[in-house]
Amino acid sequence: MAAAAVASTARWGRVRAGVMEAARLRCQRGGSRLGRLSVLPSAAGDVAQWRHVAHFTFHPDPENRQYGQTQKMNLFQSITSALDNSLAKDPTAVIFGEDVAFGGVFRCTVGLRDKYGKDRVFNTPLCEQGIVGFGIGVAVNGATAIAEIQFADYIFPAFDQIVNEAAKYRYRSGDLFNCGGLTIRAPWGCVGHGALYHSQCPEAFFAHCPGIKIVVPRSPFQAKGLLLSCIEDKNPCIFFEPKILYRAAVEQVPVEPYYIPLSQAEVLQEGSDVTLVAWGTQVHVIREVASMAQEKLGVSCEVIDLKTILPWDIDTVCKSVAKTGRLMISHEAPLTGGFASEISSTVQV
Amino acid sequence: MRKMLAIVSRVLTGASQKPGAASEAGRVLLAARNFANDASFDIKKCDVHRLEDEPPTTAVLTREEGLKYYKIMQTVRRMELKADQLYKQKIIRGFCHLYDGQEACCMGLEAGINPTDHVITAYRAHGFTYTRGLPVREILAELTGRRGGCAKGKGGSMHMYAKNFYGGNGIVGAQVPLGAGIALACKYNGKDEICLTLYGDGAANQGQIFEAYNMAALWKLPCIFICENNRYGMGTSVERAAASTDYYKRGDFIPGIRVDGMDVLCVREATKFAAAYCRSGKGPMLMELQTYRYHGHSMSDPGVSYRTREEIQEVRSKSDPIMLLKDRMVNNNLASVEELKEIDVEVRKEIEDAAQFATADPEPPLEELGYHIYSREPPFEVRGANQWIKYKSVS
Repeated sequence: MAAAAVASTARWGRVRAGVMEAARLRCQRGGSRLGRLSVLPSAAGDVAQWRHVAHFTFHPDPENRQYGQTQKMNLFQSITSALDNSLAKDPTAVIFGEDVAFGGVFRCTVGLRDKYGKDRVFNTPLCEQGIVGFGIGVAVNGATAIAEIQFADYIFPAFDQIVNEAAKYRYRSGDLFNCGGLTIRAPWGCVGHGALYHSQCPEAFFAHCPGIKIVVPRSPFQAKGLLLSCIEDKNPCIFFEPKILYRAAVEQVPVEPYYIPLSQAEVLQEGSDVTLVAWGTQVHVIREVASMAQEKLGVSCEVIDLKTILPWDIDTVCKSVAKTGRLMISHEAPLTGGFASEISSTVQV
Repeated sequence: MRKMLAIVSRVLTGASQKPGAASEAGRVLLAARNFANDASFDIKKCDVHRLEDEPPTTAVLTREEGLKYYKIMQTVRRMELKADQLYKQKIIRGFCHLYDGQEACCMGLEAGINPTDHVITAYRAHGFTYTRGLPVREILAELTGRRGGCAKGKGGSMHMYAKNFYGGNGIVGAQVPLGAGIALACKYNGKDEICLTLYGDGAANQGQIFEAYNMAALWKLPCIFICENNRYGMGTSVERAAASTDYYKRGDFIPGIRVDGMDVLCVREATKFAAAYCRSGKGPMLMELQTYRYHGHSMSDPGVSYRTREEIQEVRSKSDPIMLLKDRMVNNNLASVEELKEIDVEVRKEIEDAAQFATADPEPPLEELGYHIYSREPPFEVRGANQWIKYKSVS
């Protein structure tokens, strides 16, 4: 977590200590929620050294009836619903990637091939650079391309295509051509047993590249709305889906299409002492921190879900920090060069 | 006759010295009396691409070699089955990609090269880790994530390394340019070494492999590119993934051989042929090993949603590599069924002991979590998941 240092006052010192304490207490709680991993204290017995598997509790949002009838869905079902709506509405929409035809390794595309045909939902061979390059071509020609990269950890062979081709197409052709119809979806984030190559959060690498949009939802309701917005958006978008939430997150999600605007952060909980910012799975962690801080230390936290990493909602975050005077950002990705550093340096200026 | 007498006298003196030697001695005696020393077998002809010569169609297997191959292949088979069992008991966690069914590949390749040659493969690496010289207990301990493991418990199934064995690589296709680089180092060092660079039928469609082909052919690197074609890239059959399933021809300007990967002798002869070609400085070669895996892609894949149980059964009953070797040896008087059974018992015991060790060994201490990030003389501190957790990084 990166703490933005603001002019130190005695109160800030206490508040900071308080929220840190809450976060520390939270870290102490064992990983039994997700079950089975052994918890081994180190020789020193320091509780902060306990190892435990990723621990969080999913906080579902209250049911939103403004978009019509809702159905209970988990994250992968809400993605399927979004893709279903897209293919129904847009005859040029195609979905492709590794193993998407039978439903995908996380079941996000189940039933779509049967419903829309093998011309619209098809498998690609094992070639990420090829998948994205191919997707750019499809989009440039006017169709809506929804590419799947099987794990965000595998997106790196496609990095050149995304950064050098997709992001710069509109600019370099003077708006004559663009690949705005491209959306890349990838499972993202830690899952407990993923280790080096099934757990990465690469949003920071892409944040350094103007011309693309990056979105990370926190829940099924958010995911469907944000994914549909990404697909509609006339810019190439990367949509990272927290894989640990695929089954764990269950909410009431509208069946009809609806759109959640991009580049708008959401204040989940108002507060007056400190602003907490996160995205994806970590939003649920900081919600827990906020309630622990309130309960045990009387600290009132304002919780913000950033949702869109690039372009990010600078106004909402800065307005919140102007109110509370303190900011704490938490993300799964490594600290150095992580997106928190961008947020904290912008806020400080 | 004289030889027989020498053996008998050695046996009898040996038997009086140590009790364990009695059965060994008995076996030697039995061997000298009953079995042939070697036998010659016809092996399947290999299809070739851009080559005038071909690997031979007969192979000689000595009794000693046969017993060695049998033991090693049986060890790999039992080790993989034990890993399956441990995974289902949740003693092994994370990812686990099993190699049973493909034992002839790792054994045949190892038999065709020298221990000083280099091997690099992808994530289905347990078999190679064993044939490259690591004991089973270190492999199983690495799977269970204990400090006795070959990567000190920090690597797991996909990241196992040994001398002249560069892993163990998780990202599909990424190991192939690495292999070409190792081959360049071999050529540069001038020690007559070669590099075997393995990848699967799924990876064969990755772009970086073709980049590696080009560099290897251009600079005549002593690299054998080997495609282990087990017909399925995770769940996708080769027909649905590749425009050309003749993987041995995919190197285009690189000569290729297609080999029956279920027959250890076929693999060995082809490897010797390819190794000789590379060592002579003619450049790289491509080998496609047609093989099969009994398990699914990984432990989370049942392996039957994209192929039928009948298909798996058919391969098991007709082309199982261990069965093929056993039948050959028994039918040609190179070994007896009892002898091979004894080897089975030995192997089983070795695996049991290794599994015992792997289950009982302690995990690496938490202090070591930050070790080996960089190479640095003074140790430095690494921040953990939050700012109260600090690990020392030492290397």
